[in-house]
Amino acid sequence: MAEFYGTTVADIFNTMPKRFKPEEAKEEDIAIGYECKGEGKWKVTIKHGTIKVEEVKGDLKGCATTIHAADAETFIGTTLGKIQAMDALTTGKLRVVGDVKLLMTLLPKIFVQYTVPEKKSSVVAKDIISTITERFRPDKAAGVDMKVGYDLAGPDGGKWTIVIKDGKCAVKEGLAKDLTVKMTMPAEIYVGMMLGTISGESAFTSGQVKIDGDMMAAGATSRFFNKFVDPNAQASEAEELITIKVTNSINCRFATGTAYGMWFKGLKEKKFLANVCPKCGRTQITPREICAFCRVRCNEFVELGPKGTITAADVVYFASPDPLTGAVRKTPYAMCWILLDNASAQEAFCFDIKREDLPKMKIGARVRPVWAKETKGTFTDLLYFELDK
Amino acid sequence: MTTMTCKKEDTTNCFVFEGKMALPNQYFVGRLGSKFIIALRDKKKIMGLKCPKCKKTFIPPREYCHFCQTKIDENWVELGNEGVLVNYTIVRYLGKHLPKKVPYILGQIKLKGADTPLTHIVEGVDFKDVRIGMKLKAVFAAKTTNTLLDLDHFEPL
Repeated sequence: MAEFYGTTVADIFNTMPKRFKPEEAKEEDIAIGYECKGEGKWKVTIKHGTIKVEEVKGDLKGCATTIHAADAETFIGTTLGKIQAMDALTTGKLRVVGDVKLLMTLLPKIFVQYTVPEKKSSVVAKDIISTITERFRPDKAAGVDMKVGYDLAGPDGGKWTIVIKDGKCAVKEGLAKDLTVKMTMPAEIYVGMMLGTISGESAFTSGQVKIDGDMMAAGATSRFFNKFVDPNAQASEAEELITIKVTNSINCRFATGTAYGMWFKGLKEKKFLANVCPKCGRTQITPREICAFCRVRCNEFVELGPKGTITAADVVYFASPDPLTGAVRKTPYAMCWILLDNASAQEAFCFDIKREDLPKMKIGARVRPVWAKETKGTFTDLLYFELDK
Repeated sequence: MTTMTCKKEDTTNCFVFEGKMALPNQYFVGRLGSKFIIALRDKKKIMGLKCPKCKKTFIPPREYCHFCQTKIDENWVELGNEGVLVNYTIVRYLGKHLPKKVPYILGQIKLKGADTPLTHIVEGVDFKDVRIGMKLKAVFAAKTTNTLLDLDHFEPL
């Protein structure tokens, strides 16, 4: 089976049931056929939140839609997004018989995107054991006389004895009879410990490593050797890159002026004060010194609301940072245009809606304000609006 | 509907908000910038990039030769830690984001082996004594900050 981008076609099909989102596919009832030249054919049946993936030997039968890839590279590439599906379709390397649009919307909905599993280190226990003599540090092991046995289980395991004596170190296959200490564990645990991906202490306390004999000797052995370095890992080690992170604090001043002064006075009394244009009679909320249409000063204030009607809403999924704290708000949230009672038409006021009310929120819904426990005449007095039921 | 009047002259309800705005910023110094800072930090060396064609050495590092656009990003050369002041100014504006308390001298130092100057802080010389052409040497920071300030300042030789 050919491998591209670090994975195979079979991997993609084998992980399908795991990546399947039953909740999203409750309503679906479809069979999709896949053919990948040189790799095989598969039939994926999705029915009311269940999935069945089967490899097909003969023809693909009973599939509403079939996908044909010219080679494994195209199939894997488009699955991973390394190759644009549109490009593959136009060059003919990918062919879809049936409803393309349906597939393009359905598949991302009901499957978690396939990602290439991380490559495990190819180092096995034997590789590490074979470097023991060259990693030995005679200076650290002066006067030490011991035999350490390793009984490593698993297909890559084996039994070895490390003999340290007179500042020399030798590795012998099999376990000697007069071991100072014997350590029994799965081979992959040993490899993990030597590479530093598994902590020896936790492997021992969790019972994955069994030590028979002199415990102190077992703990001391690592001192006699230089650390094992994975030759593969070293080659691909990333270069250090520097990103400078700074949070600048900027002093701000905002003078309310008369109109906004009135607005905050209103908030303190849990009232929405708008000012009225003497010429066109329009209510301005929040109040401004001048009518934006007639360019005349507005000195008269009226109270609006407090209840109102939602006329429009922006549901935000990609939050911009809060300018006051720099923190990014939890999404989704909605900014609603609320036409307060007694306001002129079109003069809606924009504010947050209670997060819990988001799913039930509708244009035309009635809302009421929710105030802070103590109102101080500032912009945190009004918390949000909630549905008025 | 009850109405109330508030005229332009009526400042009863006027007040001023004092606030602080946080601007979280991150700046990726780049592949070459990282190498440059790491050399300052770990080796106390100032590195430049040399164009093999024009024989010009650039600092701070840049990917392409300024004159012939040859890619020079691999051609690192070590510059001396000493140089000549080719230009300077005295910073007196109190900016919150400046690296140092004002007033201080911001100089352009042409290091040995470099063809472009490096802009950095000059210390240890009186404002009235600072002269173009004076010889300076680099002083590295005792504590690293992982920034250009791992080279702390220049001072007279």
